Amino acid sequence: MLESLLATFIELLPEIGKAAGETGLMLVICLTAALLFGGSLGILVFLTSKGQVLGRFRRFNLVANGFINVFRSFPFIILLVAVSPFTRHIVGTSIGPLAASVPLSLAAIFYFARLIEQTLRDVPRGVIEAAEAMGASPLQIVRQVLLVEARSGLILAVTITAVSFLSYSAVAGVVGGGGIGDLAIRYGYYRFQTDVMLITIVLLVILVQGIQFFGQWLARRVDKR
Amino acid sequence: MTTQPTDVPAIQLRGVSKSFRTPDGQEVGVQPTDLEVAAGEIHGIIGFSGAGKSTLLRLANLLERPDAGQVIVHGDDLTAMPPATLRAARQRIGMIFQHFNLLHNRTVADNVAFPLRIAGASPERIRERVDTCLAFVGLAEKAGAYPAQLSGGQKQRVAIARALAPEPHVLLADEPTSALDPRTTQSLLEVLADVNRRLGVTILLVSHEMGVIRRLCHRVSVMEGGHIVERLRIDQGRIPPGSQLAQWLKDYGDGTGDAPEEEVDPTASLQREASHA
Ligand SMILES: Nc1ncnc2c1ncn2[C@@H]1O[C@H](COP(=O)(O)OP(=O)(O)OP(=O)(O)O)[C@@H](O)[C@H]1O
Ligand SMILES: [Mg+2]
Repeated sequence: MLESLLATFIELLPEIGKAAGETGLMLVICLTAALLFGGSLGILVFLTSKGQVLGRFRRFNLVANGFINVFRSFPFIILLVAVSPFTRHIVGTSIGPLAASVPLSLAAIFYFARLIEQTLRDVPRGVIEAAEAMGASPLQIVRQVLLVEARSGLILAVTITAVSFLSYSAVAGVVGGGGIGDLAIRYGYYRFQTDVMLITIVLLVILVQGIQFFGQWLARRVDKR
Repeated sequence: MTTQPTDVPAIQLRGVSKSFRTPDGQEVGVQPTDLEVAAGEIHGIIGFSGAGKSTLLRLANLLERPDAGQVIVHGDDLTAMPPATLRAARQRIGMIFQHFNLLHNRTVADNVAFPLRIAGASPERIRERVDTCLAFVGLAEKAGAYPAQLSGGQKQRVAIARALAPEPHVLLADEPTSALDPRTTQSLLEVLADVNRRLGVTILLVSHEMGVIRRLCHRVSVMEGGHIVERLRIDQGRIPPGSQLAQWLKDYGDGTGDAPEEEVDPTASLQREASHA
């Protein structure tokens, strides 16, 4: 059993390598989008929330919050289909890892924004206020207070996002997104090759464990509280 | 250190008021109030919980924006300033808090450097000021420690060093010793007295502890229901007899809950400037 599994593994190595590469590409793209746009959005929503430094921009806060909620309430598979015209428009096709990265990024941006906003709430108001009293600008408060004081929570937020979107990227495989999930579905599901299914699952488990372990280790290391 | 002319009041609150909206109607924090703190003075604000002490203090650096009135610090009207100018003005107004509010992921030295970094000071000046201020509060050897490794009293000393780093003319203190035990309180009051005497920094201090006010302050404003109901000069730690405050002292003790007032010699450890004695 184990031998035949190993044989299948070696036989499929090129395919697995390609699939892993595609998964990696999807993750890198959607995590980058999440960090840049989701991170900024989350920070802005936090800063404009009631009682915070930019709390006077209440309307922005309401609109941004609404946006995040709407996008987060879409089941991913529906988002995937719903944005496919948009995807075709900017990538030129609606299949393949690049195309799958569009809905993945969209979902990741709003997912991460919410996580960041909630993580930043752990920074005591008094510490932010002390910085305000010292004459810090909102940008200085973000860069030198929020991102520093919440850094271990932020690392954990990235970790959770990476793990979630590893599994979302497998869902994207269903519509021809490629990647490890696609491999599992093509061989394991459509062709009843249970051994391939097993290999991909083991692969995913190892990846998730790795990401989770590294994230937690790093978060602990930078936490001086 | 400070070169401010002493005839200009350090802080003037003119007719400031602040009300907070609560779900059940309006709750007033501070009624229209005037307060003047002379340069070089230690001015106390005392009163019961909810009297509006913290709100009044926070009006002095516009952490709380008044509904009406003016906040003038060293002759400059903070309420009339655009945001960038206000931020620059705040860099010369230090503030310390009951719960210290240090950055926990930064070392002691980095905490003290923080206001200087914000102000864009040079690395040489930052190093020089951090060393000077940590030495002033007696924590030079803790420069590399993180706040979590310090006691409460040490954390407040770091907070004082941080507030002093940009060489402020004015220090605002909201219950700076309320989270500390009596002995630590005593040593911190000595640090604050030093800040005032040796560096010439004007201090506006909120406390509900009579002992703190008596040992440290030259003058005191008594607050009740959002008003200043009494303004007193504290001479040699003595509360003027016949005042509302003297009555409170009689009724409730000096707030430290331990030593009765006769045993405390408020001038033993704190020497005041002759002009205030
Ligand atoms: N941000 C706020 N929102 C609503 N009400 C507030 C706010 N800040 C203060 N208040 C109200 O204003 C009044 C004065 O509060 P303040 O904090 O100034 O009192 P205090 O004298 O400092 O009391 P304590 O000794 O308990 O610190 C209180 O009734 C309080 O409930
Ligand atoms: Mg208070």
